[in-house]
Amino acid sequence: MKNVMSNKLAIALYVLPSLLLILILIYIPIVLTGYYGLMDWDGIGKMKFIGLENYIQLIKDKLFWSSTYHSVLLAVFSTVSLIAYLFISVILASKIKGANLLRKIYLIPMLLSSVAIAQLWLKIFDPTNGMLNKLLEMFGVENTPTWLADPNLVLFAIFIPIVWQYAGFYIIIYYAALKGVPEEIIEAAKIDGATPAQIAYKIKLPLISGVIKVTIVLAIVGSLKYFDLIYVMTGGGPNGSSEVIASLMYREAFKSYNFGYGSAIGFALLVICLVMTWVITKLTASKEDVQY
Amino acid sequence: MSEAVAQKQMKTTLSASPKTKNSFGKRVGFGFLYLFLGIIAIFQIYPLIWLFFFSLKTNQEVFGLSPFALPKDPQWGNYVKVWTQGNISLYFFNSVWITVIAVILTVILASLVTFAITRMYWKSSKLVLGLFMVGIMIPLHSTLIPLFSFFNNVHLIDNPISIILSYTAFNLPLTIMILLGFYQTLPREIEEAAVMDGCSIHRIFFQITLPMTTPVMATIVIINMIYNWNEFVFVNTFISSDKWKTLTVGVNNFVGQYLTDWGAIGATLMISIIPILIAFITLSNRIVEGIAAGSVKG
Amino acid sequence: MSLVLILVLALTGCSSSTSSNNESASNSGKTVIKFMHLWPEGSSKAQYTIVNNIIKQYEKDHPDVKIQTEILGNEQYKDKIKVLSASNELPDVGVTWAAGYLEPFVKGNMLATLDDVIESDFKDSFVAGTTEAYAFDGKTYGLPLELNITPVYYNKEIFKKYNLEVPKTYDEFLKVVKTLVDKGVTPITLGNKDRWTGSMWYMYLADRIGGPEALTNAINRKGSFEDPSLVKAAEEIQKLVDMKAFVKGFNGLSNDEAKGYFMNEQAAMYMMATWELPNYTTSPDVTQEFKDKVGYFKFPTYEGGKGDINSYVGGPGVGLFVSENSKVKDEAKDFVAYLVKEWGKHSVQDAGVIPATVVDTSSGDLDQMYVDILNDLANASNLTLYADVQMSSSVAQVHLNMIQSLFGGQATPKEFTKKQEQALEDDK
Repeated sequence: MKNVMSNKLAIALYVLPSLLLILILIYIPIVLTGYYGLMDWDGIGKMKFIGLENYIQLIKDKLFWSSTYHSVLLAVFSTVSLIAYLFISVILASKIKGANLLRKIYLIPMLLSSVAIAQLWLKIFDPTNGMLNKLLEMFGVENTPTWLADPNLVLFAIFIPIVWQYAGFYIIIYYAALKGVPEEIIEAAKIDGATPAQIAYKIKLPLISGVIKVTIVLAIVGSLKYFDLIYVMTGGGPNGSSEVIASLMYREAFKSYNFGYGSAIGFALLVICLVMTWVITKLTASKEDVQY
Repeated sequence: MSEAVAQKQMKTTLSASPKTKNSFGKRVGFGFLYLFLGIIAIFQIYPLIWLFFFSLKTNQEVFGLSPFALPKDPQWGNYVKVWTQGNISLYFFNSVWITVIAVILTVILASLVTFAITRMYWKSSKLVLGLFMVGIMIPLHSTLIPLFSFFNNVHLIDNPISIILSYTAFNLPLTIMILLGFYQTLPREIEEAAVMDGCSIHRIFFQITLPMTTPVMATIVIINMIYNWNEFVFVNTFISSDKWKTLTVGVNNFVGQYLTDWGAIGATLMISIIPILIAFITLSNRIVEGIAAGSVKG
Repeated sequence: MSLVLILVLALTGCSSSTSSNNESASNSGKTVIKFMHLWPEGSSKAQYTIVNNIIKQYEKDHPDVKIQTEILGNEQYKDKIKVLSASNELPDVGVTWAAGYLEPFVKGNMLATLDDVIESDFKDSFVAGTTEAYAFDGKTYGLPLELNITPVYYNKEIFKKYNLEVPKTYDEFLKVVKTLVDKGVTPITLGNKDRWTGSMWYMYLADRIGGPEALTNAINRKGSFEDPSLVKAAEEIQKLVDMKAFVKGFNGLSNDEAKGYFMNEQAAMYMMATWELPNYTTSPDVTQEFKDKVGYFKFPTYEGGKGDINSYVGGPGVGLFVSENSKVKDEAKDFVAYLVKEWGKHSVQDAGVIPATVVDTSSGDLDQMYVDILNDLANASNLTLYADVQMSSSVAQVHLNMIQSLFGGQATPKEFTKKQEQALEDDK
């Protein structure tokens, strides 16, 4: 077994093309981003080496910290919603009527491009003519909130379309994983007298713990670097109350011509994601893959 | 196992104690379950239905009347207007073939890598996995200038190959991660048996492991398809000639003028969704087949 | 490792065959000029058509020249130009904005000077002050295509319904606002998510209270942003907001969304530049019924203030540049001159855009609103360029954010001016 599975040539063949692709197209940009982060550069003229000055400015920048705070909030919300997605997937994976149809429906929002979703939800959140406020007015609410203009509400308001967009994504991942659990094990458990609830919690979940771990990392990293909807729907406003790290980086690099500083932010984001991933991996290390 | 028995067990799960066989409790539990799932479904799909309706409304209706009202006189003209302007068919075609090629490339490469990492024995497997995982952490906009420079230097600028390669590179980490979780839960007995039977590693991968991954395969195909179809930034940056542009860029050029015309915006958005919706529905059937096949493998 | 080599060779192999194909197609002895602009056919049909016709005509007159165009929407254009300039790949001819936007490109030596073109082709054709916005250290780096001023458009029918007259003084204006609020009509629509829209309101107050120099001096550091007139202007803005003069949720509405309220008669007034004129005059997408209801007035004067009613917020819009590194510089310059000239002849008529070159109104074919605007333009006492264009990009960001805070009540007038003073100081 070991001999076959250690075939060096096969390993190289299987791995190298992909590795090459990401080394060139992903890692070189990463290195360059870190490099630009050490420069004072407007993206057009000459670069001036200023060492860690950008990073020092970053640490002192209030806007950076509030953006990070918003990104972290988003990450927390997203991770907590995973529980709901998991719950729904477990139900769907059991043989209930209409599971297929429901699953397809849940995924539909994911098919839309971010621009489409942003446009759609902007219309929903419109303070005067939008669906949400009109609905509230029908229930007698007098002074309907200005969802995207109120600094206290905007982050929560943005979170709704994000959930709407990604729910389907996590649900189909969990669903595929649950479906991959071999029938024999479930049969065996039923024969042993386990109830569906026990099957779900004691057998299925632990068996897909690998996938769950992956989704946690995805949810957190995805939230930390999230950009699309926020930029289009609020532009980070009002006055930075919905600014996240990625939108701040974009603004600095592309709008303010502070490409060096923007790169420093980008690189900092990368480091934050790395740290978070390492932390999560350590925390979930105990739930090691179940071997059977 | 018959449907009836399965349903009965569901009901029992949701009643307070697993041992209760209270029929009223069963029905209540069942009802709540469907209500819960149903509400979520409505939440997911209603905004789209609403989009469809207002794509058919005139501006007066949108601004004056209730958003829940049905369009009085469906403005199909909105769709005609949006469709006839610009090279939609060309962009659509480009989106299709670029998406398909990139997806196929990504899925094959990712499966190869995941197999190597989870099944084969080599020292640097954890390191390489780490390298791939770091790949999902880079914010997209950081890569624009370096990548543009690179493609420019190898004369791949304004060439769809740059797009296909970029999509593949950026989707590999995510695809590998999803596959990884799945591969780890696959039983190894069958592969071990094949080794003992003297199969070569390639036969093991292609004829045994790969077919076992059908459920997740369909999943990653859809995910990749969605990402590639809706991608905008790379196309906008690397592609200049009209003949290579994709639907996202083409559609984006419309949204400008029509931002006060809700009807036309709605029509534009609906048009950009419909192709992928159709693809999704046809592909979904494959998932069902795949799962059915997979669960019978025993 | 051999795998690496093979792959790299394959990649470059593929690409060189493609590029040689491109070259052989265009290398039939023709000079190729790469031209990038931001008027896609879908969203800016009028401008697109004018440019397209000009290109066709130019190619006909110059059979040895081929113009290769790339067209993007506004935001996408800005992003792409950024990426291109970083790799030193600017198109031969492209679109740019004045002052603060242009500066980094000039500093980076990316643009060719165009004074020679102005001398030979445009003596006195440009409206005074327009090319200056594109000049640094006495050299001009762009030729402006648009000139805009910013009036306040209003719905005549709504005004008539409540017996309102066009306000000439700010106090009259406040009365108009109050009446509309009392009657439950949204007085002003504003899309302040984009921030520059609110900035224009502020700029007018600054002008009317402190005179045309107050803000400009603060920006070019001859004065201070904490000048009392600038603080007062900020106070007036907040008074206006507290009166509920602006549409609900304005800080979350983009300009285009806010515009919808005016276009659908849910708001009485809308302050916007003259690039909106087509919507009230020639655009086939707007009903004649609505167009007839729209009029405009100049921003009213302020009691005891230094600004007069003929001072406008406005200035040159986009212009054309020629890349310094262009391999076909002379041909590009020639094309640019041609484009600007022809554009000036057609832009008002066909696209409703006021060019930066002097317009001949005697032909009598123009919509009345245009004639009025052009007359007002001719009698303008001052044009103050938009603050966020005058400022450098990073200061502009601070300004725009502060505008949002000011309007949203998150910053006091004093904080508003202080923060910007700070930013301007730091930027030196």
